[in-house]
Amino acid sequence: MTFSKFIEDRLGRLLLHGSLVAGAAVFLLLTGTQPGILLLLLLLWGVFFVGSQVIEFLRFRNHIRELASILENLDRKYLFMECVPKPTTLQEEILFDLMRQAGKSMVEAVSDAQATTKEYREYIESWVHEIKTPITAARLICRNTDEKTRRKLTVELAQIENHVERALYYARAESPEQDFLVRQISLEDIAAEALEHHRSLLIQSGLRVETENLAHVVYTDGKWVCFLLGQLLQNAVRYQGEQPVITLSAKPLGNQVQLTVSDNGIGIPAHELPRVFDRGFTGSNGRSRGGSTGMGLYLCRKLADQLGIQLDIQSVEGQGTRVRFTFPASH
Amino acid sequence: MQKIMIIEDDPAVRRELSLLLENEGYQVLAVSDFMDILSQFQTFDPDLVLLDLGLPDEDGFTLCMKLRNISRVPIIFITARDSSMDELQALNLGGDDYITKPYNIPVLLARVKMVLRRAAGTQEPDRLEAKGLSISLSGGIACAGGQTIELTRNELRIMAHLMQHPGEIVSRTELIDILWDNHIYIDDNTLSVNITRLRGKLEEIGLPDYIKTRRGMGYQI
Repeated sequence: MTFSKFIEDRLGRLLLHGSLVAGAAVFLLLTGTQPGILLLLLLLWGVFFVGSQVIEFLRFRNHIRELASILENLDRKYLFMECVPKPTTLQEEILFDLMRQAGKSMVEAVSDAQATTKEYREYIESWVHEIKTPITAARLICRNTDEKTRRKLTVELAQIENHVERALYYARAESPEQDFLVRQISLEDIAAEALEHHRSLLIQSGLRVETENLAHVVYTDGKWVCFLLGQLLQNAVRYQGEQPVITLSAKPLGNQVQLTVSDNGIGIPAHELPRVFDRGFTGSNGRSRGGSTGMGLYLCRKLADQLGIQLDIQSVEGQGTRVRFTFPASH
Repeated sequence: MQKIMIIEDDPAVRRELSLLLENEGYQVLAVSDFMDILSQFQTFDPDLVLLDLGLPDEDGFTLCMKLRNISRVPIIFITARDSSMDELQALNLGGDDYITKPYNIPVLLARVKMVLRRAAGTQEPDRLEAKGLSISLSGGIACAGGQTIELTRNELRIMAHLMQHPGEIVSRTELIDILWDNHIYIDDNTLSVNITRLRGKLEEIGLPDYIKTRRGMGYQI
């Protein structure tokens, strides 16, 4: 806010004031007041008037600055009305009351929405846990059927399980409270768990798995990273080419660790590459092969962000795809 | 016979899991009355407990603590709860392993076997002998008739499993599962390559046809 804006705002009042003073001066002059005295009066008035305007301007500016800095320092801006100092003028007090009521209803709406999201997320989590028991039972029952049926059913059950997992991690990724647990864990263990999880899928699809130099320790939530690797394994199977191979390897990068997952699958067209992490994006490969949800890589990016893992993807159509995870340095 | 106690509230999983473990040659008690688990535990005196986390009356964590107060029996948690927090808590309370539902059956069986073996303090024997061939797992070598050859990690694992089951037919999927249990991620083609190489090596030390192919069923020694 500048002084000229301040003046502009109260221009009407100032003009009225000025013309009243001018009128009074003319009246005094006509009724015989000596011009010298009148000049002195006008001078005195002028000093007081300009002084009072400047003081008022400075006060007003400080007040505005104070309010702005309160807003700036607020984590949740909608709580502003709860934090401002008590109003001093009548106009401010009335405004303050109105704003406060508006703010209150906003806070209520926000906390309602948060509670709903939380409940929804909790329901999804418990639903996912519930559904896993019948899937387990179905897996066990499968064992009694003939080999061919068992294989087919196992693949379908694994699909169900993967969809369910994505729903769970979607709920986790969307919620503001982060419930992962950062621990020291070796990439070897995480990779082993992810591979074990997808064992039947990988064996049956004939995808060869190679692991190299995974004996590195990272600080992260192993389960989350296991889920991320799982998405890449599923993609490698879905978009496999001739003699499919997926390679998991790691190397230190300063005091960070970089994990690379590369496959020799059909790859991603260059113009689609920038969008693969977008929510719901299914590229031309996804559409032609079917079964793509457009959620896998979106969730990878989202979860990796929360874990502080840098994720980048490179791909050459017809040759393969490489995804790199750069784990944050240990402290 | 080793005894396994299953504490799981879902009747279908309970029934199928008992059948599975009985078929694998374990003696199984599947708890269906959750009121007095501790006395059932003491009567049955199992070698291993498979414990679900979400139980009707008290949760698996509490039960695990109670079991730990009276026994050092190995406990494997089997649960649908998959967060790192739950796993850490389970292991801190004295659980020996933590498997999330829905599990792969071969993975489950491998973990059960491993925990039982660890608890009994028995280790896999380093030396195996069958039908004129002996192998050393730590040395990575095979000997027959005074001749020695070196085996790769994959070949060693394949031989070890075949030699542990002399006379039995071992299917290809079983071999692949065993290799995966040992973190060797092998596929069907690679298995064929490995078997062919293995046969070549065995021939060098005078054991051609040591590994027989049973068409459509698997391998046998």
